[in-house]
Amino acid sequence: MGDGPDPALALRRELPPEITYTVFNSESELKTIRALIEMSLSEPYSIYTYRYFVYNWPELCIFARHGERYVGVIVSKMEQKSSYARHGYIAMLAVEPGYRLLRIGTKLVEKTIEAMLLEHVDEIALETELSNKAALRLYESLGFIREKRMLRFYMNGVDALGLRLILSSNAKLQ
Amino acid sequence: MHGTYVGEQPTDFQAATAAAAAAARERESNSNEPDEWSLSECGFADNDVQRAIRGGSAAEDITQYPIHGWVDVTQEFHDACAELLPGELAQDMLFGLFEAMSAIEIMDPKMDVGMGFDKFDLPPPSFEAAVAMGAIKLDGLEPAELIGIFDALFACLVSWLEGNSMDQVLFTCLYLHAPSQIQDKPLRCFCIAVRNLIVVIKNIIILAAVNEEEDFQLYGNSALLGAEKAQPSTIAGLLKDVEDELVRKCKQLPEAAENQCLMAVVHRLRFMRHLFQAIYQVELMVGASSAEEAVNEIYKNLNVASELLPLIKRTIDRGTQPVEGSEAPNPMGFSPRIHDRSQPPTFPRSIKIRERPASYQFLEEMVARFKYACKVIRYKDYYSALNFFIEYSRKSGHCILSRSVLQSLFSSSIRLAHGKQSMKQFLRHSVMVFNSPPVLNPKHPVSSDPKVVQHLETFFRYCINMNTFNQFIRLCGFNRARQRDKLAHLIENFDPLQVDAARLDSLMNQLANERAMEGNESHATALKHSTYFSTWVLYNCFRAMLIYLMSGFELELYAVHEFLYIYWYPYEFLVGFLVSALTRTENLLLAQEEYAEHQSRIQSNSGGGGSGSKNRKAAKPKKNKKQQRPYRQEIVYYRALLSLCGGMYKAMGALTKDGRVRLPMSKFDNEEIRYNRRFSPFVPLTSPPPVSYAEFRNIRDHMMQNSAEDLYSYAAKYFDQARNVLESIQNPEQEILDLLQIARTNFVVMNVLGRGHQKEVKRQPEFDFSKHSYFPIIKIK
Repeated sequence: MGDGPDPALALRRELPPEITYTVFNSESELKTIRALIEMSLSEPYSIYTYRYFVYNWPELCIFARHGERYVGVIVSKMEQKSSYARHGYIAMLAVEPGYRLLRIGTKLVEKTIEAMLLEHVDEIALETELSNKAALRLYESLGFIREKRMLRFYMNGVDALGLRLILSSNAKLQ
Repeated sequence: MHGTYVGEQPTDFQAATAAAAAAARERESNSNEPDEWSLSECGFADNDVQRAIRGGSAAEDITQYPIHGWVDVTQEFHDACAELLPGELAQDMLFGLFEAMSAIEIMDPKMDVGMGFDKFDLPPPSFEAAVAMGAIKLDGLEPAELIGIFDALFACLVSWLEGNSMDQVLFTCLYLHAPSQIQDKPLRCFCIAVRNLIVVIKNIIILAAVNEEEDFQLYGNSALLGAEKAQPSTIAGLLKDVEDELVRKCKQLPEAAENQCLMAVVHRLRFMRHLFQAIYQVELMVGASSAEEAVNEIYKNLNVASELLPLIKRTIDRGTQPVEGSEAPNPMGFSPRIHDRSQPPTFPRSIKIRERPASYQFLEEMVARFKYACKVIRYKDYYSALNFFIEYSRKSGHCILSRSVLQSLFSSSIRLAHGKQSMKQFLRHSVMVFNSPPVLNPKHPVSSDPKVVQHLETFFRYCINMNTFNQFIRLCGFNRARQRDKLAHLIENFDPLQVDAARLDSLMNQLANERAMEGNESHATALKHSTYFSTWVLYNCFRAMLIYLMSGFELELYAVHEFLYIYWYPYEFLVGFLVSALTRTENLLLAQEEYAEHQSRIQSNSGGGGSGSKNRKAAKPKKNKKQQRPYRQEIVYYRALLSLCGGMYKAMGALTKDGRVRLPMSKFDNEEIRYNRRFSPFVPLTSPPPVSYAEFRNIRDHMMQNSAEDLYSYAAKYFDQARNVLESIQNPEQEILDLLQIARTNFVVMNVLGRGHQKEVKRQPEFDFSKHSYFPIIKIK
């Protein structure tokens, strides 16, 4: 996220663009998701992975849009883990470089948490690269804790951190 | 944002396929035998299909209808598709996230390994093909070619030990596919040695069982490994012969340059011989009659190996070098993509074979780690062995083979593995060494009291059944990230042991009272032993707790706003518990010492001694007293830790009060939940009792009533205290010096902040853990 002194970016920060948020509603948006995610992630995902998430949980695939332009996306899922616990999982989050530092990512995560709370999710988990300080700061500001370090988790050999936000006392202690 | 570990094949899938093929051939040869029962019993195949399967030779032509029972469903398929939205997937119940992520898009080079081949899509050359094409020499290799291949193979070995699949590193070397067909003797012997080394290393790692999928890939081309029989005992002799031959040849050479090249080959063969011997002897140690002798042999080999490494490193440039831009680690003998198609069906992982200098660096450090591991033989009791394991893990935690070697050496050394010493004896001996309960002293008459014997037996049997102590040592062999998860479970297991130990202690005291009533003073004194067993159990539990909590810093699991409660717990409770457990132990030892002195004085008085013997006695207790403070150093260390934790706790309080700590937004965050989660492994314990969030909050709120300036000065005071304690340590080790630097720097920083430096800029300081994994240097930007 270490962008250079981009004048357009500076201007955008001074005059924050009006961002709207919409959920996934058509196949044509799949390409957009893929383009946004591949912009910022090291690992390739097959089209099946994208489809698995967005068609099972379209309401948890939320876009940030600046007018017609898609500038950010979050992709998540929810599952009944046992009779008393519902788990949420954030799979992907990306914001276009020119639109970073505008709290769009935070907003997308907040909207996801709110959507999950409506479904009485007890805890939300995700993984992120150890070196991704921006993501860590974002999630920690929302109350996530880093629970687990996973050595050589990614295909490029980088370690991951397992993060978790506990929303209710139902969440079973591991 | 997420990935998956590459799923390991549970068994070698190539072998499985080969077995299936063999079974099929078997069936074919017996094809005149009817095997209709199997089909009809299946019950699901309809008549057409059954007929088709029984069709025998006609099975070749699958276009024939109706032999195969093909039914055209094109229309039904299109109709069904019409019900779906564009892009919508018909998802099978069994097609979950793992399947979705493992599925590949054909022709995408990032996912489809087949796309990695060259533009003609030729299969990578096999050993036979490479020989036929003349791409690899089997005889008459130049010294430079040998050096190049040897160095590349060492690099592959290192890359394998770093977690890559052996198929994708070692077995890209075609020479390893058929060593017996190599005519060049040095190359043949070296390749045979590598093949055997792979088997030996695999065995050591499997037996030690401290590996996880991210550490090491056990599975690989067993078919290749099995093709030529492993004969590890002959390797040293083979290599020695070649070395001698080459040395003789060397002496006949007039040219100094050629001579040096050949000697570089000899050094590599010799290094391989000693490294191989050392590792092979580790594997054999389980059956060795004397662990000491075996370790001595290992150590000797390691010494020679480490002496050869500087010579080898200096001659790396004499070998053929990898071609720039090529994936092969050497121009001749390697076929980098040969096993790409036999890898587990997931995305191709990028394989980076280490460069040669870095590989020798790794081997040099590995040999040094093995030498260090040999020292474990000195530690025959639980306390000192555990200390060694904790220390070793801190220094060598990343290398799977080093960790596994330590496990092998230790279990051979204390003779648990093959029953020469039972775990019970080991633990008994360990308690004896730790705080020497008189009831464990076999010379003491009370130790044969049937009640005492029975209680002790029950206690130790319980310890063994719970396996907690053993587990603690084994756990130190896992990688640092996994250790933390395993510690959380281990801590829970201490609770029943604590309960049992406390019961044993009170039973002993009860017996002491009985004996006192009977008038048996000496038995009563021996039994009245306060809390030997519970102190021993608690001390180990406290250590596990402290390591668990502090490992979170090393693994970067704590956010800065969490530091406050994390440092608070050891400051307020845990480190203090450790100090008091050790102090209590020393006092018990001291009391025993005094009692023994008292006894001997009574005896000598009654026996009547001359002045000479009196002098001797006057000198003896002094010496003993010194011996009976075995935990002094550790207590001092924990005192320093206590002050550092106190300093960090107060510092975090001050920085928070001063508005210099980024706090989470309150919308979804809940500190109580975070606190409970962080300390959750401690909750099942009876002792120490869990500390509730409310209790923590009361104490913190009380502290936070102070002004930020005051808090900074309290923190400074603690750091200063830590400095004093650390400076009192004589002949300090590097860790102590590092802690000292942390204490000194933080003392200064706290004073600077306390005086109102950068008062306007409320920036969060940087916490630099590079000096010590538990404590940071606080840096103001």
